[in-house]
Amino acid sequence: MAGVKKAPALTAAVQKLAALPILVTIATKRTDGSVQLNPVWFELKDGYIWLNSNTSRTWPKNLQRDRDVTMLLVDPKTPDRYAQIRGRLVSMIPDPAHEFIDRLAHRYTGKTFRELEPDEHRVTFKVQPVAVTGQMI
Amino acid sequence: MAIQLSKKMQDFTQEVFPAIIGTNRKDGSVEVVPVWFEFKDGSFWINGGTTRGWFKHLQRDPRITLLLIDPKQMFRWAQVEGRMIDWAEDPGGEHINHLSHRYFGRDYQNPRTGRIKIQIEPLRVTGAIDGWG
Repeated sequence: MAGVKKAPALTAAVQKLAALPILVTIATKRTDGSVQLNPVWFELKDGYIWLNSNTSRTWPKNLQRDRDVTMLLVDPKTPDRYAQIRGRLVSMIPDPAHEFIDRLAHRYTGKTFRELEPDEHRVTFKVQPVAVTGQMI
Repeated sequence: MAIQLSKKMQDFTQEVFPAIIGTNRKDGSVEVVPVWFEFKDGSFWINGGTTRGWFKHLQRDPRITLLLIDPKQMFRWAQVEGRMIDWAEDPGGEHINHLSHRYFGRDYQNPRTGRIKIQIEPLRVTGAIDGWG
């Protein structure tokens, strides 16, 4: 995404929604240009959106290739209130001690994450919000 | 080629929550918004105004991905890759009114003019409802 400017501050309404333990729907693009949608755990912290995945899944590969991701938060009580956040991958941080996925697991389940599979490698994605649209702003 | 949905998926589509749709913008980015939908006669049907961004995107690139997710139990979800195969005017807003009854059990409260209905054929389903595919 050329010409990316300073990240917009997320409004109080969006921050409040992001504080709920809801999933964010992330959209990435497959190599053929089609859209892939996945509901995933996330955390909004320090102005960035943080995601975590197993490196063998498709969406992390799409995200690494493209660096662009669109994220949708929907108010579970009022689905016509939503925020669409376009984001840009800033960095990928290996999570070998699965500290960050444990943190997310606590946010969503109150427990630490399950035992990792033998070949499972977790990685954390730091995403900068670039533009926000939707019915909440 | 269009696929037939499994019985589990057909049941899931009868539940009442918005579909999250992803379409391709001209600049290569993805637009993601929630919309009302129904699944009927083997197709997904959504409704919008002709000025909606996602409709403009679909006219250029008919590929569309739908995420169906139960907002109360978010591990229940399915991703449907599809394609817009047809669209038509919705004279008198009959279809949007029909969707309003599906979602709210009442007549559509906003103007019913200038609306269109879009037919989407499902090409592939993945996610938790049907197994991971």
